[in-house]
Amino acid sequence: MKKGIGKAFFGEWNTKTIVTMAVGAALYGVLMVYGGIPIFSQTNLSTAMIVPVIVGAMYGALPCSLTLLIGNIIADLIAGNGMWFDWSIGNAVLGLFVGLLPVYGAYITEGIFKVKHAIIYGVLCIVGNIIAFGIVTPIFTYLFYGGELKVTFIMAGFACAGNIAILLIVGIPVLFLLAKRYASRTNLTAE
Amino acid sequence: MLHKLTGTTKVRLFLVLTVYLIMSWDLRLIVPVLIAGIVGLISMRPNWKPIRIMFIFFIVINLLNLFLFFIADPDIGTKFCGSRTVLKDLPGYLYISGETMWYLFTRFIKILATFTISITFILSITPSEFAAGLYSIKVPYKICTVVELAYRCIPDIVRDYQNISTSMQARGVEMDAKKIGLWKRLKQMVMIIVPLLLSSFDKVGNIANAMDLRGYGKLKKRSYYAEHEATKADGVFKVVYLAGILICIAYIAYKMLSPTYLQLWYPFV
Repeated sequence: MKKGIGKAFFGEWNTKTIVTMAVGAALYGVLMVYGGIPIFSQTNLSTAMIVPVIVGAMYGALPCSLTLLIGNIIADLIAGNGMWFDWSIGNAVLGLFVGLLPVYGAYITEGIFKVKHAIIYGVLCIVGNIIAFGIVTPIFTYLFYGGELKVTFIMAGFACAGNIAILLIVGIPVLFLLAKRYASRTNLTAE
Repeated sequence: MLHKLTGTTKVRLFLVLTVYLIMSWDLRLIVPVLIAGIVGLISMRPNWKPIRIMFIFFIVINLLNLFLFFIADPDIGTKFCGSRTVLKDLPGYLYISGETMWYLFTRFIKILATFTISITFILSITPSEFAAGLYSIKVPYKICTVVELAYRCIPDIVRDYQNISTSMQARGVEMDAKKIGLWKRLKQMVMIIVPLLLSSFDKVGNIANAMDLRGYGKLKKRSYYAEHEATKADGVFKVVYLAGILICIAYIAYKMLSPTYLQLWYPFV
């Protein structure tokens, strides 16, 4: 069952997608606040980054992006560190890149995830992080809060490094595992 | 009294105040909101214990943050004020200037105000009211549902997290942050998070089915049970947030148009 690129990008907006996004956003929010190992001020080596990998793998780019956007806003709300919409938007952009999985043919839900996909995924994660936190976030920081770009860039550097580490070191094994899990399921249903 | 407002009013008020706090670096504008936030918080008679812990945590983190800001760029105040008054030279490239100190102080008060406002908001609103409020500002209702459900899920997830963490410790996994290195800690985090993710995403099917069975998502529009009719207090706060919007627009326009505009209000020039 091949889906069109549009569908892989926007995801299917049924109830299940919505609930997954909600659970993903909540998990992301909680893990952003409690599940991180601090490496720099307001920047964590955050295990929350596994969430977009899973949501993206199952539902595509746009749901993944929205999950991160809402998740980050929720994290800001419950952590009480002030609202940083520039970072939320950066996260949303990153979500788009991470969630592109089905667009380039890695249909995790059908058990398809090969080394080729892992490499594309890795490159996209790095590019996505750099665009999201190196370009998009500083732009919005400048627009919303004015000035203080230097600190944003330092924080962005740490955030990028941490995110890329988690997305690659933890993300790729998780994707292989998920693909394997789904593959065994699809075999069962096919018989 | 805040509890009795409709979701619409709460969400709109919160959004306006957030924008208001983001746009200004002017203590004259920030302090009233801070006071209003504190009054709002006290008026709800919350359970102070968790708030106190959050508050202490918040202050420690932010002082550390301010210190980092200072280390990264001791000249940051000058960019905001356009002047420089060196109070004391420190070794290396560091020095203390009046502007930078004022900037850091303003920043602290600003974030403190945001903190009080968001705590007050979170404590005064229920998930359904949140969704109803978002729907009232024309957010598609499916997104509202995402926010609502996510907000509703947080206590469950925190509880699951604690359960898993306790059971891991019962099996002899060392969780004390001081005793183990970074790599091992990361590994153990993953050991907690994988079951957490699995158990959370396993619930998705059940919730989605329950929602489908109740006919969720069949129509283009929806209404919210939690949204009651506007009370007198809603009218009062409507005036407040409309005024807030006007102030925001005026201030941002002034910021864009005025050539002599300085980001930071600095009283000691």
